[in-house]
Amino acid sequence: MTAPAARVVDAVKVYGRGDTEVRALDGVSVDFPAGRFTAVMGPSGSGKSTLMHCAAGLDTLTSGAALVGDTDLSTLDDRRLTLLRRDRIGFVFQAFNLLPTLTVAENITLPLDLAGRTVDRRRFDRLVDTVGLRDRLHHRPSELSGGQQQRVAVARAFAGDPDVVFADEPTGNLDSRSGEEVLRLLGRTVRDTGRTVVMVTHDPVAAAHADEVIFLADGRLVDRMTGPTADLVLDRMKAFDTGITTVPGGAP
Amino acid sequence: MNTPATLRLARSSLRAHRRRFLGTFAAVLLGVAFLTGTLVMGDTLRASFDSMFTSATRGTDAIVRSATTVTAAGEAQGTRGPVDAALAERLARVPGVAAAAPRIEGAGQLLAADGTPVGGKGPPTLAGNWIEDAALNPYRLAEGREPSASGEVVVNRGAAKTAGLGIGDTTVLRTPDPVKVTVVGLATFGGADGMGQVTWTGLTRADAEKYLTARPGEATSIAVRAGPGVSQEELVAALRPALPDGVEAITGQQAAEENTEMVSGRFLDLFTTFLLVFSGVAVLVSVFTIHNTFAVLVAQRTRENALLRAIGAARRQIVAGTLAEALTVGLLASLAGLLAGIGVAAGLQALFPAIGFPFPEGDLVVTGTSLLLPLGVGLAVCAGSALLPAVRAGRTAPLAALRETDVDGSGTSRRRALTGGALLAAAVGTVLAGVLGSSPSLWPAATGAVLAVAAFVVLGPVAAALAVRVLGRPLRGVNRGLARRNALRSPGRTAATATALMIGVAVVTLFTVFGASLKATMDRTVDRSFAGDVAVGAPSFGAGGSGLSPRLAPAVAALPEVDTAVGLGRGVAEVDGRGRALTVTDPAALARVLDLGEVRGSLTALGTDGLAVAADEAAASGLAPGRTAELTFTDGSRHTFTVRAVYERSDLAGDYLVTRAAWAPHRTQDADRLVAVSFADGVRAEDGKAAVTAVADRYGHPEVQTRAEYAEASAGGIDMMLTLVYALLALAVLIALLGIANTLTLAVHERTRELGLLRAVGQTRSQLRAMVRWESVLVAAFGTVGGLTLGGFLGWVLVRASGDSAFVFAVPAVRLAAVALVGLVAGALAAWRPARRAARLEILRAIATE
Repeated sequence: MTAPAARVVDAVKVYGRGDTEVRALDGVSVDFPAGRFTAVMGPSGSGKSTLMHCAAGLDTLTSGAALVGDTDLSTLDDRRLTLLRRDRIGFVFQAFNLLPTLTVAENITLPLDLAGRTVDRRRFDRLVDTVGLRDRLHHRPSELSGGQQQRVAVARAFAGDPDVVFADEPTGNLDSRSGEEVLRLLGRTVRDTGRTVVMVTHDPVAAAHADEVIFLADGRLVDRMTGPTADLVLDRMKAFDTGITTVPGGAP
Repeated sequence: MNTPATLRLARSSLRAHRRRFLGTFAAVLLGVAFLTGTLVMGDTLRASFDSMFTSATRGTDAIVRSATTVTAAGEAQGTRGPVDAALAERLARVPGVAAAAPRIEGAGQLLAADGTPVGGKGPPTLAGNWIEDAALNPYRLAEGREPSASGEVVVNRGAAKTAGLGIGDTTVLRTPDPVKVTVVGLATFGGADGMGQVTWTGLTRADAEKYLTARPGEATSIAVRAGPGVSQEELVAALRPALPDGVEAITGQQAAEENTEMVSGRFLDLFTTFLLVFSGVAVLVSVFTIHNTFAVLVAQRTRENALLRAIGAARRQIVAGTLAEALTVGLLASLAGLLAGIGVAAGLQALFPAIGFPFPEGDLVVTGTSLLLPLGVGLAVCAGSALLPAVRAGRTAPLAALRETDVDGSGTSRRRALTGGALLAAAVGTVLAGVLGSSPSLWPAATGAVLAVAAFVVLGPVAAALAVRVLGRPLRGVNRGLARRNALRSPGRTAATATALMIGVAVVTLFTVFGASLKATMDRTVDRSFAGDVAVGAPSFGAGGSGLSPRLAPAVAALPEVDTAVGLGRGVAEVDGRGRALTVTDPAALARVLDLGEVRGSLTALGTDGLAVAADEAAASGLAPGRTAELTFTDGSRHTFTVRAVYERSDLAGDYLVTRAAWAPHRTQDADRLVAVSFADGVRAEDGKAAVTAVADRYGHPEVQTRAEYAEASAGGIDMMLTLVYALLALAVLIALLGIANTLTLAVHERTRELGLLRAVGQTRSQLRAMVRWESVLVAAFGTVGGLTLGGFLGWVLVRASGDSAFVFAVPAVRLAAVALVGLVAGALAAWRPARRAARLEILRAIATE
């Protein structure tokens, strides 16, 4: 396996102090291998969103390290962290992914424009065709359906040729058909062009699109599963609900 | 209606959104403070002057003076004829009179220790006789002694300080003949260092008669003191039988009231009104600022209000709640403004003496009006500005709670465009009808101006979209592009924000254009009408200065370098019953130094009963060569004059010309206001000027000016006025900028998620700050351009409506460019705090905000 595109080592994240202290991450170490589609699953409160935020440089760890490639995020100041997000990371959020004042095309090239980079026409065209939005390029986000908006977000996330794309419940606000399209789009992009995607979700059906699923509970990594299906994932999740939360971590 | 619930809501909303009301609070506070400060300062000055005059003239029980005054058109104060000084001795023997002393008063300008003239920039520069009877003398000796020999003077302490003169110093008093004087004493007036900034020099009676009156034995008036037990009224009644014809007596009380009226009624009222106009502008600007704040708040609170409606709040309760919020902010801000205003007035009272303005001692006068009026204005402005947004809040449909709030596209409706267009057309039509007609009149022009302001306000949102697009076109790059689009998001809001600035800039532009037009007019006047090479003048504004010695013109004329030197003096008379200013000169020589245009008749032989009249004035009063007019002078005499010539250009020469011989029997203190000089053939300009300057130096150092310098000096007062106006308008512009900052803060709050997203996908903090700043600059640019246009138009209207065909309209490009630049820079500054706040947003919280 190639070097990981991103990883966290002994990640600890504590919110609050004293009585109100919450350990959202409690010593998580995990690699996100390059060229793979990884899903992060867990019940709500398991720390999966915190993990993603810290791995993506949106939040800082209390202790431990988060790395993108070989760059330790804790060594970066706000400005360099921002530039790292701009140039090496792509984002797809659950909702409100697009700037209402920009057209679809402008939203897609936003990170490139912020960096002052010129847009490679051929790459851009290929991206637009992949997400199937050619006839919508000059529309505003408010003129698009929820599914179309998320596809624009996906295109934006990949536009800058990032090392890794983080997707936070990208289908959480979509109906199942639109969600399916977005997930297939993510999977196809990883497999066709060798990109890296890390997706946080609580939906077993969504997780089934990934190459590998890692399971988080109470701020710890509890399991990993390669070649997931919706049923397998669902069963694993049910196991958490019935109280079997402490399965030894590490590779299966 | 359940008021407590409404109030509770208002209160909790205020508490929760304190920061958002900062702009509103500041706008009201500044406006109210300005208003309060003006009123309190006006009242305090008035009271101080009252008590000063009362204490200065306490010992004077009656004043005897000529009953004849002539007031020329446009003059604030008439010219009164003299009385016989010998009358004082006769009056002193009237039973009931303890003492009577002649008072001689005239113009006298001191030269400071460094040779520059003292005062003359508004308040009068006076000289008079030192009255030995202390009770009748309004001035008190503070240091030194009274003048006893010729050339000895007492100077009021304020003037002495300004001039840097002390006891024993020698200087020159222009009366306007230069008199060498030695300061032997310093005096106070009514307990202060002077009567405001009026300078006063006291001479011996003999000197005063010699230098300040036309003939020895004349006095301006006679001050009379009553014997024991005689009231002022009884005194006046006793004096009356002893008075010759044409002489009147008034009580000391009346004289003091007249003096007070002259200062408070004319100067202070004008001053207060002037300041009130500018606080009005500030208040108007804050109305737009506050209205905008509430409009944005109500829009942001749509869901909250809809929820309230859904759970059963009545429409009235929502409206009342919003208004209660506005009134609470208004009340708090107004109270703070009252305190601030009183503080400003107290500060100024302390500051004035420090900058050499003798401010009479006395407590601050805070009347009920100066408290209630600003308070009322503050509350009314707040409630009035919030009314429309409140009504809109009340109209919120309960269902709106369930809808996602959209980008607001209001303000660009067709109806608005049509209404605004119609208003604009009406404005332009009315103005054109007013100013382009055969006789321009102010009323249609003023109506048109008001319509134009209304049209600009109504058209704002329609124009905003277009203007931001055009103004934002040169902006390249993604951050500036985003800024442009943010400014375009809600044209209504952008326009309302910019309107406040637009009004401020429009007033600035109006004054700038008007001032430049006045200057251009002066330039052109001098250019067209001044045919000489140099002018000798004593630059002064208002009542100050003493003019030029009448002996200067003959002395200059005697120089070999000089061809012609003509002095122009000033006289007054009633011409057929109407008070008019006369130009006393040598009409025959005048045409060689001034271009009078076409002359009908002859200027060479006016004699002692001839008159020359300017063409416009002649047409207006039905005079023509050969006709006669009856002139009444201040000494009460009437003479029939024959019009011997009618000349075309009156701008430098004035409307009536008479010879010195004709004026001599009626003259008062003699002075020329201008000596126009043309050089002999072949004399170089520098040589001529040097020769004239050498002579002028012997006559009290008046300035010798080339044509360009003369034009410049004539316009000197305009720049001074403009500076003051700019200072006063700075507050209105500041309020407008607070409005921009406030709207931006609200917008940043509204766009929290967008900003978070931008930061997440890689917008750096400095890029984000630049984005907010550029949006602010765009809004400011729109306001500035609108203001420049509106102000320029109004300035043009004002110039044209004056009805004076010689009035030139000028557009001062450099100054207006500076105004535009200030507007843009100020816009960038206004964004400072919102941009910083936006940049400090935590990304995670921003993208998690629901």
